[in-house]
Amino acid sequence: MVRILFLLIASFIFFAPFAASAASVEERSKAIYTQLKGNNNYYAHLAKKFANVAVNEKGQHDVTAARQFMDLAEDSAAKAGGQL
Amino acid sequence: MKLSIVCIALLLLAGCSSVPLHTNHGELKNVKAAIADARSANAEACAPAELAAAVAKMYWAAHEIEEGMHMTEIDELIAGAIKSAKKAKTQSAINCKPKAKKVAPIKISLKGVNFHSGNADLTMNSKTILNSVVKKLKAYPMSVNLEVSAHTDSDGSATSNLRLSNLRAKSVMNYLVAHGIDPSTLVAKGYGEDKPIADNKTAAGKAQNRRVELNIL
Repeated sequence: MVRILFLLIASFIFFAPFAASAASVEERSKAIYTQLKGNNNYYAHLAKKFANVAVNEKGQHDVTAARQFMDLAEDSAAKAGGQL
Repeated sequence: MKLSIVCIALLLLAGCSSVPLHTNHGELKNVKAAIADARSANAEACAPAELAAAVAKMYWAAHEIEEGMHMTEIDELIAGAIKSAKKAKTQSAINCKPKAKKVAPIKISLKGVNFHSGNADLTMNSKTILNSVVKKLKAYPMSVNLEVSAHTDSDGSATSNLRLSNLRAKSVMNYLVAHGIDPSTLVAKGYGEDKPIADNKTAAGKAQNRRVELNIL
């Protein structure tokens, strides 16, 4: 019983971060592009470039890197005036 | 057993956690210098897309360096980042080139500037006209080189007309210089009777031919 409980907790801890940001990298990237359409600000361009890297990294199955770059993309988008 | 489960859970957690990217790698020294160079050329405002491309590639290269694999990809990303930074600098110079301020061409008329008959002494009315010319030249935002040209009608000999026109051109120039116009911007030239603008056979034509002009060089 205790083992099962530990396994459940471990699984919860493992999956919690993914659940917190349920949207996929592609969806988040699309949101950035939509939000920043027509914005020629440096941070808007940077956000889109980071989002591209994130999608690329996910394509190479590096989910951690994809999330890292998506976080950078969203930070840049916020600086560009986007609200994500 | 419990301990192993906890350890596995912690390892899984560590696997999920993301270490913030940093760009303090020696391999990125040249990229950072190129980006700094582009920024100092105001690329953030003048070439934002190119600068963003350079910065994103630098971070991507940093990620690959931290992974310690894909050496070819790292080299390509570094080269790409430097290329983008250089392009940002070049594009910045093009996009934000200061536009030359348009200045309306100066128009100055010396119509009405006359001399006492047979000499180069300016009439009172001529001095009034020249005073307004001086005012206009001083207010003009650019330095302009001008030629004061004087012309006569065909009465008298061509030699004396040429001499008189030279004296009259110099008279006008001296007046302008005496009232503060830079002498290095002025040239006085007499054309005598060589360049008539009207018929010298009529009194009205002759009056038109006796004239002083101010031409922009």
